[in-house]
Amino acid sequence: MMFASQITPRSVGGVTLAQSAALVPPLIVVALAEPDRYAILLAVSLGAALIWEAIFAVLRRQGHGIHGVTTALIVTVLVPPDIAVWQLAFVVSLGVVLGELVFGGRGFGFVHPATVAVALLMVSFPQIQLPASTQALAVATLPGALLLLALGLISWRIIVATAVMTVLALFVKGSGVDLTALSIALVFGLIFLICDPLSATATNPGRLAYGALAGVFIVVFSSGGPPTAEAIVLAALMASVFAPLIDHLVTLAHARRREKRHA
Amino acid sequence: MRHFEIKRGEWPSNAGAPAQRINGQIAVGSAAFLGRDMPGLRPVFEVKQGEQVEIGQTLFTDRKHPEIAFVSPVTGRVSTLAYGARKTLSACILEVDDTVQADPASVPIEAASAASIRETLLARGMWIAFRTRPFGKTPTPDAKPTAIFVNACHASPLAADPRLVLEDRMATFRHGVSLLTRLTEGKVYVCQSPGDAFCAEEEQIEPVSFSGTIAAGLAGTHVDRLCRISATEKVWTISYQDVIAIGHLFETGQYLAERVVSVAGVGAARPRLVRTCLGANIADICDAGEGSRALAGDPYTGHAATYLGRFHAQISVNAKTTPKPIRTWTLRKHTGLSALVPTGALDHALAPDILAVPLLRALSIGDSETAARLGCLGLIEEDVATLSRRCTSGTNYGALLRLVLDDLMEAAA
Repeated sequence: MMFASQITPRSVGGVTLAQSAALVPPLIVVALAEPDRYAILLAVSLGAALIWEAIFAVLRRQGHGIHGVTTALIVTVLVPPDIAVWQLAFVVSLGVVLGELVFGGRGFGFVHPATVAVALLMVSFPQIQLPASTQALAVATLPGALLLLALGLISWRIIVATAVMTVLALFVKGSGVDLTALSIALVFGLIFLICDPLSATATNPGRLAYGALAGVFIVVFSSGGPPTAEAIVLAALMASVFAPLIDHLVTLAHARRREKRHA
Repeated sequence: MRHFEIKRGEWPSNAGAPAQRINGQIAVGSAAFLGRDMPGLRPVFEVKQGEQVEIGQTLFTDRKHPEIAFVSPVTGRVSTLAYGARKTLSACILEVDDTVQADPASVPIEAASAASIRETLLARGMWIAFRTRPFGKTPTPDAKPTAIFVNACHASPLAADPRLVLEDRMATFRHGVSLLTRLTEGKVYVCQSPGDAFCAEEEQIEPVSFSGTIAAGLAGTHVDRLCRISATEKVWTISYQDVIAIGHLFETGQYLAERVVSVAGVGAARPRLVRTCLGANIADICDAGEGSRALAGDPYTGHAATYLGRFHAQISVNAKTTPKPIRTWTLRKHTGLSALVPTGALDHALAPDILAVPLLRALSIGDSETAARLGCLGLIEEDVATLSRRCTSGTNYGALLRLVLDDLMEAAA
């Protein structure tokens, strides 16, 4: 941990940069299937996210960030390639504005804008099916995950708690547990949506509870079999809504424990 | 001896550390008392500008508590008396005059009763060496702490090793510690680094050792591990060099203003330890060229200053000479608020058992109730310096903590 504290980014821009770097391999793997199409999709989502950030920066007379890049990258990886360009622009705009900019920018809201964007896509256009995660995508997520772990930008507690709770919940539900299929399905959404430091809990016991809650939601929202991308996005959304409450309960319990110390 | 290993906080680095031997005495040209060390203090001056003063002579008293005297650390002439806002102290600057060499006789002061010890400390300028937790203020003359913490911990290689400073002063130090036991009904904890205990364990005296990160040397960490504090349960903290001065005061009847100060840091031409006086002029201590890069205090909480503060025993010399010119785009970037990202580095920054991110959030919005529940009463500015350094928001949490503490102090009064 001595090492991590030395290299952790000391600005929100640095955090965004690290997250964007972590997102590059998954994007490349997904885009290899249809490079031309994905180039258009990426351009559209980047354009939509950054234009809204620029508009808000001008309206608020603040500096212009590039935080929309991570939102655009995550959304591009998650959406199906045959999505209409206007639909993508529409949901990215809604996600960035409603999930982030109305709260004052990156780090001031309580949900991840990409989660909001994809969740709104599912609600607004129910006919669109999110593509299932592939083995290649799961493998490509790992270097980024290791980078973010080393920088202290995601917590192993959330990863472990979510994975364990998902397995447990599937077991209780009576569905078969195929660990390989499960990890392939989980890994991208878990690392970039559920573990996002700004929408997750910020205390160590809270992280365990938050991860466990996300695991339960994943199983509740998926209809049997390995978890779907839709279920993970909705679970991330719901869990982050509960994150402030979990943190509040943890601080109350911690204060009670402090009271009893040195008694 | 109980031992605590502190794993959270900034790990020490040896860059720019001084050799642990004292490089002689430095006679400074001027010394000062700064209002910065005693925020809100309103002085009643007992000397006039231009007046000759002797070492240990009362310069001014606290208007609220006239018993508390502030005495001169040098023999010389009062060159400036300056008020700040609302008649608070801004600075009291003294010019050293070497030609007047008074040699007062050594008259031991008898520590007859607890009340007389208190009176002596108050009248002879040693009372202000104590700081309370919570709030980090000078205690009121009638206050009774639940414990007293002597900080003799060597956590940063850049500071002087108390073992070295105490070498030929051990008896005086132990005398000082025994006097402290008369001020409290609780314990006097002597917090030190591992090794031979500075004091024998007695009914009211307990040596405790701390090691690990730089936070092992912060009084806030010692208090958190050993004692519970609240708005009503107050403890006092004091540095080991002040305990030596207290011992010296009672042994000889003379005020001891001499302090061992380290001049260190990556920018120091020759990192060294020197003997000088309280509130010494930093430029007089530093070599040519070091002065402009010198900070009063340690590298984490230090600030550019002309004089050392009352509680400083360290001058940190930076590597950088001048701050880089600010470009327009950085200015633009800084006009907006920056967010707090709960990174792993923040979780490992705070040595006391306090949830870091919830505390920072409470401080950011000035929620003193939540901050107090989380344990901010045990902290002062120096304890949260690491959090300010590591947080992505670039906020000065020390300043925010002070606002919250002021709020809580008002509520408790």
